[in-house]
Amino acid sequence: MQNNEETLDELENRLAQLRRALRLAMVERDAARVAQLRQQLHRAESLWEDKAAAEQPVSAADASDASAPAPVSPDAPVSEPALAALLPTREQVHQTLSLLEVPAAPKLITAVHEAFFPGELPASRLASLRRDEERSYRSAPNARPYYLCPALTADRLAPARALLTVSTWPLERRIMGAHSPRVDFLTTATKIASALISYSQLGPRWTPDAQTRAERLLRSFAVSIPGALGPPTLAGHVPALDPDQVGDAAKAELSVHLEVDRRQRSEAATWARDRLSEAERLFGNRLASVRNSASAD
Amino acid sequence: MNTTTTRLNALRGGQPPVNHNARTLVGLSVNPGCARRALLDACGADKGTVARQAGHPWQFGQSRFALARGNAFEQQVKEYGGARLLALLRESLDLPVEQVAYIPLKSVGDSTGREQRYRQTCRALVGAARGGPDPGTLYDHPMLRLNVGGNDVYLEPDLIAFKIGDRFYIVEIKSFPVIDRQANGAQVAAATRQASIYVIALQDLFATNGLDPELVATSVFLVTPKDFGNTPIATLVDARKQISMLNRQLARMDRIDILLDLLPSGLTFDLAVDTTGVPTRPAANLAADLRRIPARYRPECMAHCELAGLCRDEARQNASLDVYGQGVVDIFGGVDTTHTALALAEGRQPSDDQAGVARTLRHAERLRAALAEGAA
Ligand code: SF4
Repeated sequence: MQNNEETLDELENRLAQLRRALRLAMVERDAARVAQLRQQLHRAESLWEDKAAAEQPVSAADASDASAPAPVSPDAPVSEPALAALLPTREQVHQTLSLLEVPAAPKLITAVHEAFFPGELPASRLASLRRDEERSYRSAPNARPYYLCPALTADRLAPARALLTVSTWPLERRIMGAHSPRVDFLTTATKIASALISYSQLGPRWTPDAQTRAERLLRSFAVSIPGALGPPTLAGHVPALDPDQVGDAAKAELSVHLEVDRRQRSEAATWARDRLSEAERLFGNRLASVRNSASAD
Repeated sequence: MNTTTTRLNALRGGQPPVNHNARTLVGLSVNPGCARRALLDACGADKGTVARQAGHPWQFGQSRFALARGNAFEQQVKEYGGARLLALLRESLDLPVEQVAYIPLKSVGDSTGREQRYRQTCRALVGAARGGPDPGTLYDHPMLRLNVGGNDVYLEPDLIAFKIGDRFYIVEIKSFPVIDRQANGAQVAAATRQASIYVIALQDLFATNGLDPELVATSVFLVTPKDFGNTPIATLVDARKQISMLNRQLARMDRIDILLDLLPSGLTFDLAVDTTGVPTRPAANLAADLRRIPARYRPECMAHCELAGLCRDEARQNASLDVYGQGVVDIFGGVDTTHTALALAEGRQPSDDQAGVARTLRHAERLRAALAEGAA
């Protein structure tokens, strides 16, 4: 199934599959499978690097994701603590952002990671990430299948404070207009709600601790969304948390803002495509020129 | 650069200027007659470092712990585009659900220059006031400017201004608890005073841009945690009294250029930092320069000014009654120092305006003597 005839695109599909399978194996705490997938991933990555060096570099913005079960074969087991150390920080952040699908600040990334993925991801480790990613991109553009990049402000296309995104996302999603914080907040609530629903079907393989963290996180979103929580059950008691209800309430409010947000984001994205180099599109425009049409909106 | 600015820079010396905030302006207005503080603030001197270097370090205000808690609470209220704040405003002001636009004004691209940020704030707020195509709702970290004593000072508020209908409100986030909807009166008053400074600065911004200052509401939103927990609640506080009081005090402040004219030449707060940034100016030398500027010490200084240690020492050395506060000063009307008070108690002939106080003092002295005899 793996051979040297694979094109870069096919290889990238396979990398995405392997990562997804690895994520699942980690959630299921299947140490043997994790180790084995990790090796396969490593081999595929080296293969990809060789190929990418030989061929035209692919644009980071074109790399795509696909889903299918990954090839599996038995391998030597690894110990529990080793599980946590398996993924490098950038991959942990990538898997978390892939769950959220919206720009997120380190604090949220850490909280979501704690709730849904094994291993530790302290916010302190995210501090230098953006700089490292940019350095890596600049020394060898597009050598990696994805980069972790800042979100961009709609008015200046400058790097937005603290928000991380993935280079392979559509540019629109990586741009922050005036309504985007709310839209992304509500979207995050829907993502956490559906993750909570599907993870709770994993049964005991999802640790009760992680579940509690996920519920606490969802509740912290729900309190700011109209209709997301039921009325308090008894005087002084907190209302029950129903992920379906939170998701529905968030979607209901989303429908109010989506149109205006989409318009602002796509206007800015068009502007960015016309004016900015790929590096600037990924890491932000550092010159403080203002888009007149969209300034201060 | 005009001469006042040049002279103020010389007064501050080689250190970079520190920004004003509402707390420092409130402190300034607590003692509007103090030239020492007015000049230190106007030139942007770091009063904490100056006081330490002059041998009189003075700690006041919140503890490190309280500050950290305050920041965490503020973060929580403001994160995710002010999600918690929106929920509160929807609840208490019926803010329409469409109004969620959040405009961060903390930096302009990578630049955080004060003037540039001020212009960006003007553009955003004036645009919204004029009813641009898509006016914002929440404005985070606007940079404001206010003329104090004839001198422009920048204000770096940690707050959100927000617009509902055609009115702008100031939101002040504070971490002191509100228990059973009752907050500590002094804390509420202090928070309201700070928010009032921003109301005044925002009114000024609109007026400067040819808009009606009445666009700014004279009630402010105080967001505080409920019952020691982390749930924020919002209270609308009428700040009209504080606003007019602060306006009066700011207007009463002497003009900085007049104060500068009165200074002896060569006077400076320069700390003479060495190449590693460590101040090397001898304490006595700096303290002497500070004492050459008239101050007006009062006990309130202890909670509002970094120079309080130095000024209190000075007032004590001069046996000034100011050390004991306005109440005592009022009782001793016509008497300025403890020396005079003691002399009157011991029988010195009072002047006309001291006659009443002298009678009281002599009576007190007789009682004290009788008690001392009884005890002996
Ligand atoms: S402490 Fe000194 S400098 Fe500060 S306001 Fe009081 S008198 Fe003025």
